[in-house]
Amino acid sequence: MRFQDAAQDARAVTYAAIQAEPVVAQAAGLLAAASSVQRLLARAVMNGETLDPDGWRAMFPTLFGPTVQPSDRERSEAILNVALAIADRGDQARNQLRGALVESLTVELLGRRAGSADVRRERRILFDGVRADIHPFDVTIERSGAAEAYDCKWGARGINADVLHQLDDARENAEAEEEVLHVALVVFDAELSCRVRLERQTAPHHQTRLVALETLESLSSSFTSKQDA
Amino acid sequence: MDEASTHADLARDALAAYEGLLSLAEDVEDEWTYVNDLSAAWQARIGELVDEHGAEPATALEETAILRTIEEIEQISDPHRAIDWLSTFPQIVLVTLGGRR
Repeated sequence: MRFQDAAQDARAVTYAAIQAEPVVAQAAGLLAAASSVQRLLARAVMNGETLDPDGWRAMFPTLFGPTVQPSDRERSEAILNVALAIADRGDQARNQLRGALVESLTVELLGRRAGSADVRRERRILFDGVRADIHPFDVTIERSGAAEAYDCKWGARGINADVLHQLDDARENAEAEEEVLHVALVVFDAELSCRVRLERQTAPHHQTRLVALETLESLSSSFTSKQDA
Repeated sequence: MDEASTHADLARDALAAYEGLLSLAEDVEDEWTYVNDLSAAWQARIGELVDEHGAEPATALEETAILRTIEEIEQISDPHRAIDWLSTFPQIVLVTLGGRR
């Protein structure tokens, strides 16, 4: 098993430019330290119609109400502002930025455990005698004996057979080489919605870990199989 | 809504609005099954909330939050965005009214 940079084609160049937008890193930094309700706020605003901050404050009294601690409110305000900045970019840019954000957030949280040097983006995984999948994995941790591969999705609807096969095939191919490759889906959506989506998927996913909106912190702790998809 | 509103009243209003969102999301024919499974799962969660906390009186902040969130989803005209909100809207309702997400 070995890792390789994705081809530097037009898609990769465009994607790198999106990843480099300052608002992506800013949002990822804030959301890495956020509560699950603050993350829900970010998801709602970036999915939302209104750009009126007072409207969002009214929708989340547990974040902006009069009894909220000033430090918590300050973080919620920062998250609201950055989410509105992304929501204000129009549908196409918004979609691209949201995808980039989930990857950046995953990198940020994994980096707390693995160290940023071991966490890579847009990498292909190659196996002897196996035709290489052209699509890179969104995020990888490349450590001998305990590598990890992640696919990142904005919403549960992004979970599909292709993604599940890619992850499970890689895991199986690693196993055939007597290597360990843990695989996971990171979805910036509620676990319940992800479970509903997965329930009807026939593609193999029982050894693919699910990391949902409520459990993102788990990326910073050791990889376990307790939350298999 | 008068001062006697309860969590059950707000949940009922939210579920009525959710039906409109579901109807819009069903326009994405390829996702019909997922959309209906998803909405059924979240409706059940809100039902649990009503069973456990429905009799509790709603505060003014809770009432405003639910009504404002209903207004937000009523602005949605894109069925794909409606699918996203089939997941997001009930979570906001549950967070606001203290239910299990």
